[in-house]
Amino acid sequence: MALPTAEYSRSRSTYASLRLSVLQFLADPQWLVPSMIAPVIFALVSFELFRGAGPYYLTYAILGAGMMSMWGQTLYGSGWATGQDREFGTLEPTLQAPTPYIYVVLGRVLWNVISGLIGGGIVYAVIVLVAGGPPALADPLAFALLFIFVMVTLASVGVIFAAFYVYTRYAGFIQNIGEFAFYIGTGCMFPVVLLPFVTNPISLAFPPTWALDALRYLSIPGYQGFGWGFWVDLGGAIATTLAYLSIAGLVFHRVERHVLEEGNLSQY
Amino acid sequence: MTTSTLLYRPSFWRTFWTNAVMAPRTSLGFMRVDFVIGTVFVVPLTQMVFFAFVVQLGGGGATEIAYTAVGNAVATVTYSSVFSVCQTTDSEKQQGTMEHLLVTPANRFALYFGRGLIPILVSLATVAVGLIYAVLLYGVSIPLAVLPALSISIVLMAFAMVGFGLLLGGVALYLRTSIILGNIFLFVGLLLSGVNFPLSSLPLPLQWAGDALPLTWGLAAIRAALSGESLGSIAILWGAVGLAALVSFGAAVTLWKIFERRALATGSIARF
Repeated sequence: MALPTAEYSRSRSTYASLRLSVLQFLADPQWLVPSMIAPVIFALVSFELFRGAGPYYLTYAILGAGMMSMWGQTLYGSGWATGQDREFGTLEPTLQAPTPYIYVVLGRVLWNVISGLIGGGIVYAVIVLVAGGPPALADPLAFALLFIFVMVTLASVGVIFAAFYVYTRYAGFIQNIGEFAFYIGTGCMFPVVLLPFVTNPISLAFPPTWALDALRYLSIPGYQGFGWGFWVDLGGAIATTLAYLSIAGLVFHRVERHVLEEGNLSQY
Repeated sequence: MTTSTLLYRPSFWRTFWTNAVMAPRTSLGFMRVDFVIGTVFVVPLTQMVFFAFVVQLGGGGATEIAYTAVGNAVATVTYSSVFSVCQTTDSEKQQGTMEHLLVTPANRFALYFGRGLIPILVSLATVAVGLIYAVLLYGVSIPLAVLPALSISIVLMAFAMVGFGLLLGGVALYLRTSIILGNIFLFVGLLLSGVNFPLSSLPLPLQWAGDALPLTWGLAAIRAALSGESLGSIAILWGAVGLAALVSFGAAVTLWKIFERRALATGSIARF
């Protein structure tokens, strides 16, 4: 019998990781709730603060809340999985397996993207219900596609975070403390151009900043975002996402080598 | 084994201090530099800035932004007082110490109140730092004359909020996990307690729900103190905050007693 190729083994690991994530979710779907409470409340607060500001401000509330929900599912999920591996004592065996760890993480990230979409959909439904109707959108299909792309850009950040979470014992701290900073930095509820100009380079280092700006150009008439407009935003989002995924691959490779040399991975 | 050993019951104060000192290191997870820096210095700043920008985008002026800044400076107290305290139940279950806790003869009030001591101190620090940010970034005025009334309001609110956290921790004893409860009450105040906009702009049922939260009364007392209202009108709000604290602590102890009995009878409630 011929040995399976490395590619086969890797895809099987990703599939197994994805399947396990789905099964764990189905066994206890209540875990979708914590990551949706904050986005729904933030959306309702923003809706109240934007009341009377104009019809397109509902889009800001929905986009921001949707992104928060995705943050919860995608970034939390991706990073937390590594922390749980460490806690359960499965991180060392997983890293010792022939399949690179990134393929295991990829399976989890794929599910987190899907569950993030589910969460985003629920948040959207709640806000539409409260507002009494959907937001005014020029091109709903393009909006939906770009919304999914925003999720992918978040997932690329999640993969990088997951790589660093292998190193750090402070994953929970980084997530909790970094949550609002990330919301501000990427302009999830308001245009990044409102922030001081000196902070813009930091914001632009994150793929969701570009993707959200593009999404607002697409959906809000007269939107005042970055001066370069929709297409450059879209190009920037794609470029930074690809850069993140490439860096994630390199970082995972180095992290794996390092922790195997150090042998202190199980110390919690 | 002697009779004195069998009848040994730790004193109220011993239980109180032991829990005050130990809980932050174990179930609360407070004794970490990262937690203190994050909760006291980072979260108030980022949450306040976030909502200030949202208000700015919605067309709010300096007054509205200052209102939101004060609200969020105070509301971040929920991280240390409600969320962390509520999560202790989960921590006990996860660490396998819940069964031991339930069979200890220690005075329950001393046990729970002791656990709340450090969260109360962290809550005081969080609100103080948050208000300093509000002064520095958004020009919120805090005259020296209002400091005594403001301090009393903050201290009372910290007690009430930790009491509320203990109450939720009691409810969480019955639940499989407290994370959902913790998340709900971590953020619901932003909507129902007059943090970002006056409570009167909400529908009446939501206003009633807001009135049931200690944060609403605590924040109202702090706003009244900041605006230099008369001691008589602030005292009414202090009374409401104090009442919320008493009801929360009392209900927490009662709930724990009920669920403890159930736990000891069924032998299953303390499992995670």
